[in-house]
Amino acid sequence: MQSVETEPNPLMEGLQVRRTPEPCVLAIFGASGDLTKRKIFPALYALAMRDLLPEQFAIVGVARTEQETADFVSAMEEAVRSYARDEFRAEVWGRLAARTRYLAAEFADEEGEDRVARCLTELDGEYGTRGNRVYYLAVPPAAMPKLIEELGERRTTTGWTRLIVEKPFGRDSVTARELNELLARNFTEDEVFRIDHYLGKDTVQNLLALRFANGIFEPVWNRQFIDHVQVTVAESIGIERRSAFYEESGAIRDVFQNHLLQLVALTAMEPPIDFTAEAVRNEKLKVLKALSTPSPRSVVRGQYGPGFIEGEPVPGYREEEGVAPDSTTETFVAARLQVDNWRWADTPFYVRTGKRLPRRETTIAIQFKRVPHTLFEDTSELRPNLLIVHIQPNEGVSLAIGAKVPGEGMRVRTVHMDFLYGGAFRTGLPEAYERLILDAMLGDATLFTRADEIEEQWALVDAIVAAWRRDKPSFPNHAAGTWGPQTSEELIGWHR
Amino acid sequence: MAPVAQVEEWADECASVVDIEQALVGLRFRPGREDRQLRTSVLTHLAWVPVEWQAAATETLSGLAERHPSRTLLLFPQPEDDDGLAARVLLECHHLQGTERSVCNEVVELRLRGRRAEAPATIVLPLLLPDLPVFLRWRGRPDFGSPVFEQLLGVVDRLVVDSAEWPDLSESYARLATVFDRAAVSDIAWRRTLQWRRVLAAAWPERPDRLTGPPAETSLVAGWLRARAGIEVDVERADELPVGNGDRDQSDLLSEELDVFGREPVYEAAVAAAASSADRL
Repeated sequence: MQSVETEPNPLMEGLQVRRTPEPCVLAIFGASGDLTKRKIFPALYALAMRDLLPEQFAIVGVARTEQETADFVSAMEEAVRSYARDEFRAEVWGRLAARTRYLAAEFADEEGEDRVARCLTELDGEYGTRGNRVYYLAVPPAAMPKLIEELGERRTTTGWTRLIVEKPFGRDSVTARELNELLARNFTEDEVFRIDHYLGKDTVQNLLALRFANGIFEPVWNRQFIDHVQVTVAESIGIERRSAFYEESGAIRDVFQNHLLQLVALTAMEPPIDFTAEAVRNEKLKVLKALSTPSPRSVVRGQYGPGFIEGEPVPGYREEEGVAPDSTTETFVAARLQVDNWRWADTPFYVRTGKRLPRRETTIAIQFKRVPHTLFEDTSELRPNLLIVHIQPNEGVSLAIGAKVPGEGMRVRTVHMDFLYGGAFRTGLPEAYERLILDAMLGDATLFTRADEIEEQWALVDAIVAAWRRDKPSFPNHAAGTWGPQTSEELIGWHR
Repeated sequence: MAPVAQVEEWADECASVVDIEQALVGLRFRPGREDRQLRTSVLTHLAWVPVEWQAAATETLSGLAERHPSRTLLLFPQPEDDDGLAARVLLECHHLQGTERSVCNEVVELRLRGRRAEAPATIVLPLLLPDLPVFLRWRGRPDFGSPVFEQLLGVVDRLVVDSAEWPDLSESYARLATVFDRAAVSDIAWRRTLQWRRVLAAAWPERPDRLTGPPAETSLVAGWLRARAGIEVDVERADELPVGNGDRDQSDLLSEELDVFGREPVYEAAVAAAASSADRL
């Protein structure tokens, strides 16, 4: 081989179609937890399968559980076999496994952190990862502050640092602000990646594509043409042995505060000037700031009692293991929200989320206003135009339009035009965590929530929770397998 | 790859375009079908398949339609036969996991007999899906300059070839370069060299003295090195690529080309450079 001194590399043009992160070590704190098994390692495997991880890359799992690297790797292999979306390929897993270490350490104390830092330095030497770090904080909220401080103190002098912070991010405005301040003392905002995994879903990003890559929707995306918006995040499962967490959080902190409000923000936001992190997050923040505090009459909370899901009897929330028999934790929230700005004035956003609802479904339904004048003889079967963005399952978009019924006369009825993701793009949708972990490695924070967004979201939740404290709810107030308390249905009724 | 759930078929030895259009609609709504069928198309895929390429084309097509929901028009020229148009229309429906729906791909096999093979564009034009990209896969070396090639080039957005199927590379690359201003071009042989080029790019500023591989791929990589970096290398013929493409088969490679839109200037420069040197292999 001969050597030629030319810069930049002329052979790279046309080859850099994929975004590959710079060399780095991914350190997962809380590595013995469920998230690492179910989401993080399957996502890493999917990235490895597609050659999206850097060549110089290593993983270290850190947790208190005493085990050897071999045991950890074996458990992760099992997890990948169980939860990865791709078929298991030994050579792909082998590449990942060979770069994986496990460290049993009390990560929230100095000695433990020193050991972690030494291990990371060793990996730098072994894999050429240049001091670049991605810290994934999948730890309980109580362990978070100390861990952040310890990591801040041990920043590498070379390379970059990125911190992925899992939810829950605080449990109210005060704790969220404290956590943000702690992060700000130790890291810059562009080093912090607060995960709301909904933002990593392709179908959520498709909402932005739908709005801003098509000329036909944005002109009618306002109060003049839209009657109201409904956002639903429904789960048919119960709390799945997470009673300790759920008793503390309830539906409002588990889903409403983050996923639901982010979906509202993406639906209502103005077009950003570009698709960079700051531009997108600035526009979302404006929506969150414009959300007025709903009156108590505009919020419905519920808790499921015994009922049936898909024909199977299921216990009520208070009968779930680990739940207090007189628990007043809400498992359902519905609200009528108002975005007080020029675009959305007087256009309600009806949102609802809950456990043990009839089916798993996340949708954003845009209901347009009816035509101002009816020309046709029989429109009794004609409903208003409805644009439904199916986030999950049946990912796609459908549009309800009026069409003439064939034959004599002018009967008009509603038909649906469907775009199914699985039909048009047959490659399989990536898991949200794949995109988010890759983006964090690349330093792209567009799909992560910023400190001020989180605080605005908590401010709204705090106001709702404060109103709830004034009375004791009569729970349970709906059966499992139904769409929540009757009063939630009436929320929309009040609007009409 | 999900299995084809159901194939509906219609055939006529003496068909018209109207018959074919009616068959395409009729097959989707045959009585007795219980699942909801969707036609979700992202492109029209034309394939010009001379008789010697029929078996290979059919094999490549297998599995492709599922990845790219499309209308595929397979054109089999049979100029020696008596005039006529024979058609077979297949509706291949794949069940969508987790739903009660199937998504259907349309495959139309057209045997262009006698003089009908001289004006394929007039048969193809009414059958194109409106407002979607049209890709033309030409099996073997295109008959550059011929009325048939010129006609079809006029109705497509992208020409997909595999220069490894060509006998005379230098002249063919020179002819291919004249097409670039009229349609974007994909070359599956170029796609096959992707990993090889990545390895060479990663080694920069080291450069190879010699390239060894199959003629088309080696010519293109040599042309690429010359066009991008002014590097001249010796070339040597071999059956295998020095850097493989994993387990990608012909269908995978064609599938990847169907995801590409727009011109590829790096490829075009490589072809222009290869035109003057491919005869060394």
